[in-house]
Amino acid sequence: MSASWLRSRWVVVPGAILASTLAWNVYVAAHATGVIEGRVVDRSGRPVEGAIVTLFNRSFITNDPRQRTMTGPEGRFRFDGNDSHAVQLEAEVAGHRSERMTVRLWFRAQERRLETPLVLAGR
Amino acid sequence: MRRGFPWARHAVLVLVSAVMLLPFYWVLKTAITDENIYAYPPRLTPLDPHLFNFVDVWYLIPFPRYLLNSVIVSALAVAGNVVLNALAGYALTRHFPAKRLVLLLLLSCMLIPFQATIIPAYLISARLGVLNTHLGLALPLLSTIVCIFIYKASFEAVPKSLIDAARIDGLSEWRIIATVLLPLSKPAIATNVILAFIWSWNSFMWPLIITRDAEMQTLPLGLARFLSYLEDTTGALYAFVVMVLLPGILVFLMAQKEFIRGLTSGATKG
Amino acid sequence: MAGKVGWYGRKRTRELALIVCFLLPSLAIFLLYRMIPLGWNVVLSFQSWSPMRPARWVGFEHYEEMFLWDDVFWQAFWNTLIWIGAAPVAIVLALGIALLVNSDLKGASVYRTIVFLSYPLMTVAVGIIWRWMYDERGGFFNWVLRSTGVIEQPLGFLASFDMALPAVIVTDIWQVIGFYMIVLLTGLQSIPQHLYEAARIDGAPARARFFRITLPMLRPSLFLCAVIGLLNSFTSFDLVYIMTNGGPGHATELLITYIYKAGFGQTKFDYAAAITVVQFSLLLVLTVLANWAAGGNAGAVERD
Repeated sequence: MSASWLRSRWVVVPGAILASTLAWNVYVAAHATGVIEGRVVDRSGRPVEGAIVTLFNRSFITNDPRQRTMTGPEGRFRFDGNDSHAVQLEAEVAGHRSERMTVRLWFRAQERRLETPLVLAGR
Repeated sequence: MRRGFPWARHAVLVLVSAVMLLPFYWVLKTAITDENIYAYPPRLTPLDPHLFNFVDVWYLIPFPRYLLNSVIVSALAVAGNVVLNALAGYALTRHFPAKRLVLLLLLSCMLIPFQATIIPAYLISARLGVLNTHLGLALPLLSTIVCIFIYKASFEAVPKSLIDAARIDGLSEWRIIATVLLPLSKPAIATNVILAFIWSWNSFMWPLIITRDAEMQTLPLGLARFLSYLEDTTGALYAFVVMVLLPGILVFLMAQKEFIRGLTSGATKG
Repeated sequence: MAGKVGWYGRKRTRELALIVCFLLPSLAIFLLYRMIPLGWNVVLSFQSWSPMRPARWVGFEHYEEMFLWDDVFWQAFWNTLIWIGAAPVAIVLALGIALLVNSDLKGASVYRTIVFLSYPLMTVAVGIIWRWMYDERGGFFNWVLRSTGVIEQPLGFLASFDMALPAVIVTDIWQVIGFYMIVLLTGLQSIPQHLYEAARIDGAPARARFFRITLPMLRPSLFLCAVIGLLNSFTSFDLVYIMTNGGPGHATELLITYIYKAGFGQTKFDYAAAITVVQFSLLLVLTVLANWAAGGNAGAVERD
């Protein structure tokens, strides 16, 4: 009876909102490392080493290239310090380009390991 | 009082409800899809629903800034209404000379729509130097006549003997309001909070007139500005609409009873 | 004895001072933002004034210009009257819904909530939602009309001179109908049940019960709805500004949007003040008329 005010909807609902906001911010702070990792493969699924991967930042109208990196062994690549919430990735090797892959994140600089690889269709 | 044909009545009311809810569905559907909104025919159900449009709204426009401004203005308005209206409502339960005049003044002010006074109100705000400030945005909303009468009615319902007993105990008028009247007037406080919140949260014309910088804009202004930039070309606009509507819907559903009682009791007094 | 009176007098003065202090903040706000502006509007409408020039009395010059030369003013004036004229339609619809909801129907409160839900929402957002409903390609109405074969070509509702005003009015009705319903529902619930019992015993048919009991007893609520409808022509600024901004041409221009444009678009504050005076007078006249139509005394029902 003494704590009945705790069960009032005026306490429960704002409390729940506050708690979930707090939890979300803690989660964001822990995962906003700006790391994006992925792989580049060719048509038959073999990893491509030495492909150049470009990271574009997406805004409403434009996509600006921001960073470039080269794939290492097993076709792996890694970007650090991405600070956008919506990026596009494109791989290129010897004039062949992959399709652009759009990656939408839940918050800025969310760390992300991509499951689906970039496919260089020309090879 | 009238029985009979409950199914026919249900059918009509379901139809009416559908008409009332349809626009919500249509905008929600657009907010959670990436469909090409210039395609015809439009899809009736969302295709690949996702929530990333909401993320876009948060980052691509100064949404947090608009939100902060709206929250500051609404908080000022709510605080102002809860405190100032309680004081004025209490004063009106007491006897004093010229009370009839004050009541008459308040009742006639109720008939003046705020929109009818915007030009001089703008000039007055300019003289006071509160253009383009949070205070200036909140100032005309700080006290509401309807809400004063809601407090007055609630205070008058408190037994006179209780107040007299408190006075004999030597409590000051402030203490009487704070410790005797307000705890017994929780529904009136709730009504004040809700009405003040909804009115300040939705207010558009006044902020449109007195803000100059994008930094001071509130959510409705941000929404209008977003619309003029984008002319309905993106799902993000509709995501923005949903984000702006949610707090109002939440507060309304939480306090429907107080809200309706406040509107009707205030309205019938006018 | 004299000392006691003095003490009492002092206490009384202190009490009065306190009451004044309690009233002052609220009264100051109403004075600053309601009373003074109303008077200033009238003064300003007889002056030639802009922020850069000193004020000069010009008598009825603004009114002359408005009434004799300003076509936009007249269009806005008639549009405002049409807007107000649409209120009775909404009130009748709301009365129908209120009668259906006001009974021992199961789930009546759910219907009530749904119908009322649109009222407390931000009008700017409502305007954007309905722009999208009226959209030429992705809009709901065009989809319905085209898929049922009523029209061949898509209709731009808000870009059409004939349909823009009705389209915006429909949106407005959608938003305020819930409020009318709540007001009427409160009125219906305050009608004493024994009146109906007596009529039933007398064998009065349902129609007669409605026209002889319900409607007359609802007069105060109906009057209130009418006043809300009148004030609505002022408060609809947000909706018109967002949906059409008075366009196409001036097909949806209301007096309030024209006041905004004259005042803050062309910085003709004096002229805008004159239009405000006209609209406020219109409001007063129509309120008095509505009061008269409701049987006087704000439609109050004599009850014993």
